[in-house]
Amino acid sequence: MSVGSKGLHRWSPWLFISPWLLGLIVLFVYPFIASLVWSFTEYDLLTSPRFVGVDNYKRIAREFIRGEGFGKALWNTFYFAAVSIPLSTVMAIGLAVMLNWKVRGQAVFRTLFYLPSMVPMVASSILWLWLLDPRDGMVNGVLAYFYETPPLWFQGMQEGVSLPTPFQFGSKDGLALMSFWGVGNFMLIYLAALGDIDASLYQAAELDGAGRFQKFRYITLPMLSPIIFFNLILGIIQSVQAFTQVYIVSEGTGQPAESSLLISLQLFLTAFRDLEMGYASAIAWALFVILATATWGLFRSSRNWVHYRGGRL
Amino acid sequence: MFRKVSGALLLLLSVIILIWGMSISLSSPSPDDREEVVFWHFWSGPDGEVVDDVIRRFNQSQDLYYVRGVSMPGNNFDMKLFLSVTGGDPPDLINQDDPIVADWAFRKAIFSMDEIAPLEEVEQMRKWLLPSARKLGEYDGRLYAVCNGLDVRALYFNRDIVEQALRREAPDELESLEQLDEIARLCTRYSDGELTQIGYLPDPRRLWVWGSIFGGDFYDESTGRVTPDDASIEKALRWMQSYRERLGANAVATYRQNDQSLPNKMFPLLAERYAIVLDGQWRVRDIEAAQQATNKMRGTVTRYGVWPLPSVSPNGKTGWVNGNVFLVPRHAKNSKGAWEFIKFWTGIDGNEAEAARTCAAGGWIPVSNAVAESPEFQSYLQSHPLFARFVELAATDQETTPLVPGANRYYREVNNLVQRMMYNDDSVDLSKELTALAEDMQQHIDRIRYRSLYKEGPERD
Repeated sequence: MSVGSKGLHRWSPWLFISPWLLGLIVLFVYPFIASLVWSFTEYDLLTSPRFVGVDNYKRIAREFIRGEGFGKALWNTFYFAAVSIPLSTVMAIGLAVMLNWKVRGQAVFRTLFYLPSMVPMVASSILWLWLLDPRDGMVNGVLAYFYETPPLWFQGMQEGVSLPTPFQFGSKDGLALMSFWGVGNFMLIYLAALGDIDASLYQAAELDGAGRFQKFRYITLPMLSPIIFFNLILGIIQSVQAFTQVYIVSEGTGQPAESSLLISLQLFLTAFRDLEMGYASAIAWALFVILATATWGLFRSSRNWVHYRGGRL
Repeated sequence: MFRKVSGALLLLLSVIILIWGMSISLSSPSPDDREEVVFWHFWSGPDGEVVDDVIRRFNQSQDLYYVRGVSMPGNNFDMKLFLSVTGGDPPDLINQDDPIVADWAFRKAIFSMDEIAPLEEVEQMRKWLLPSARKLGEYDGRLYAVCNGLDVRALYFNRDIVEQALRREAPDELESLEQLDEIARLCTRYSDGELTQIGYLPDPRRLWVWGSIFGGDFYDESTGRVTPDDASIEKALRWMQSYRERLGANAVATYRQNDQSLPNKMFPLLAERYAIVLDGQWRVRDIEAAQQATNKMRGTVTRYGVWPLPSVSPNGKTGWVNGNVFLVPRHAKNSKGAWEFIKFWTGIDGNEAEAARTCAAGGWIPVSNAVAESPEFQSYLQSHPLFARFVELAATDQETTPLVPGANRYYREVNNLVQRMMYNDDSVDLSKELTALAEDMQQHIDRIRYRSLYKEGPERD
C-alpha cells in the first residue's frame, strides 16, 4: 500500500460521513448556538442584534406570572398536551389491540385505520373545520341530542376539561380531537409491539386461570410500557411542535382571543410578525428547558412503571 | 418480469418529470437585454390572472425594464421577505396588505419613495392619490408605500329580507345607528326558539371601523401614544357589546364562524344567514356571480343593496380603509424599474386608461380620481352599481389603522380584546381592559422606538 492510499484510507471514514456532518453543523449546531446567543439580544432580523443581557428571560418570567403572552401560550400548550396525549394513547392502544385480533379482513381494517394518518395536515385541518362547525358541523349534529347548546369548538374560548366550564368544549378541545386523526402512527407502533409479545406469557396466564382483562392488565400493558413511554415523550414533543393545524383553524392568530395560541404559533408570531427574533429565541430556549425537565422527570418516573424484558434499565 | 416492468415505469416517470421540469424553466420568458424587476405578490387564481395581464402589458410597453412576477399565496409572505433580505437577495418590489408600512419604514426595511424616484415625481404622486390611499403609505412625513388598490367597507344588505321586515322599500342610506339596530332587530329570526337568521352582528375585527365611525382615534399623533381607551372607542365597543347581550355570546360565536372571510356561496349574506353584513367591495363579485347563476337557472334573483355606514358622531369618519400597497425593500437591485411599474399600475402619468382596465378586470377600487373618472372606468361602474357605491366612499374621509411601529401587534391585540368581550357572557370591565391594552401596547411601541435609539453596530441601512 502506497503512502498516498494509506492517507486516503485514514480519511475515508470522515469523507463518507462529511455530507451528514456538514448538514449537522449548518442546519443544527449553528442555529442551536445562534438562537442561544440571540436570546440575549434584541434582534429584528433586519438590523444587527443588540445585547440586552437577560431582559428577554425577565420578560418571559413576567408574562408567565401574569398569564399573558408566553404564559398564556404555555398554558394552552399544556392543556392541549394534557388532553390529547392520554386520549390518543388510550385510543391507539385500544385500536392496536382490536386490530391484533385474528378476524377476517384484518389487513383491510388495519389499512383503513391507518389511512387518515396519511392525509396531509392542511387537508385534514380544513376537513375538521367543517366537521366541528358549531352550527352546521356533523359532530354538533350528533351532540345536539345531548346538549342544549352544543359546543363552539374552534369558535369558543371554553376549556371542556377544566373546572369553570366542564364539558363546554372550545378551540383547544377541538385541536385535541383533531389529534386523534393522526393516531394511526402510534397505533402502528403498538401493533408491532403487540406482535412482539411472547405468546408463552399468555399461555402461562391462561393456565393460571387469567381472563381476557387480566391478561391485558398484567401482560399486555406491562409489555407495552416501554412503547407507551416512548410514545408519551414523542407525544409531548409533537404537542409543543403543533403548528400547521393551529395556524389553519385560527387563521394564523390563535383566535378566538388567543384561546388556541399554542407555543409554536406564539413563537412564530413573535419572530416573524412582531420581528422580535431575540425574544422568540428566548422563548425557544425556555421551552427547551421545560421540555428537557419534563423528559427527565418522565425518565425518573419510568423506573416505577416501565417494564423492560430482561429487567429494568 | 414484474420488477422489470415496474423499473421501466419508474424510469419513464422520472424522465417525464425531468422533461416537464426543464420545460417550465425553459418556457420562462427571457428579459432580453432589459433590466429585470422581480415583483413578489400574493395573488393567485382569477386575481393572479389579472396581475399577470398587468405585468404583460407593462412589459409590452417597455424597452428598459422587464417585470417578473412571482406569486406567493399564503400567509407567510413576511417571513419569506425577511429571509430574502437577511440572505441579501430581496425582490425589487412587493405587494402587502397588512398594517406594516410604519413598522418596516421605521426599521429601514423599505425605501422611502423619494429615495428611489425623482422628488417631483413623488410629490406629483402624493397629490394625485386619493387622501385615503395616500394615508396608507405615509409615515413620518414621507411616502414609503404606494397604494395600488383600496379596500373600503360598507353594509351589504339583502333587499328582499329587509323590505319584507320593514314592509316598505329599503332606505337608500341609513339615517342613524338606531335605524341600523332597528332593522337588524326586525330581520333577526327565530324558529322554535332557535336563532335561524341574524339581522346584523358586529364582527369582532371591526372595532377599527366602528371606533372611527363613533369619532374615536386609535392613535394620538401629537403625543405619539396609542389610544384604544379613547372614550368614543369605548362607546363603540359598548354598542357592539349590546348585540352580544341581546343575542348571547354563544349565538354570536356560532354565527360568526369565520364567516366573513368565506368565499362565494359560503358568504353568509348569500346563504341568508345574515340580512346585513359589513364587508368590502370584493363581495360585489360574489353577489353578481350568485345572481347570474340564479338567473341562468331561471330562479327568483335575490336583490341586494349597499349602505354606507351611518353617521354617529360629528367627529366621526365615514369608514375605515385598508388596501394593497407597493413597497420597495431596501437593497432592491432595481428600484428604478420598480418605480416605473408602480406608475404604470396605479395609472399616473398618462397610464389612466391602463389602470382603469386593471381595476375593472379585478374589481379593484382606483387609488386616484383621475382613474375613477376615466371613461373606461365610468362605463364599468354603470354596469356595476353596487361597486360604484364603494368607489364613491373611497373618496370620502376614511380612517386607516395607525401608521406606527408595532401596528401589526396593536391590530391583533385590539381584535383579541373584542373577541374576549363578544364571545363571553361574563361581564368585563371595559374601561379597565382598554386602559390595560393602551399601556401594554404603548410599552410595546416604546420598546421598538427605544431599541432603535440605542442601536449599536453597523449602519442600519
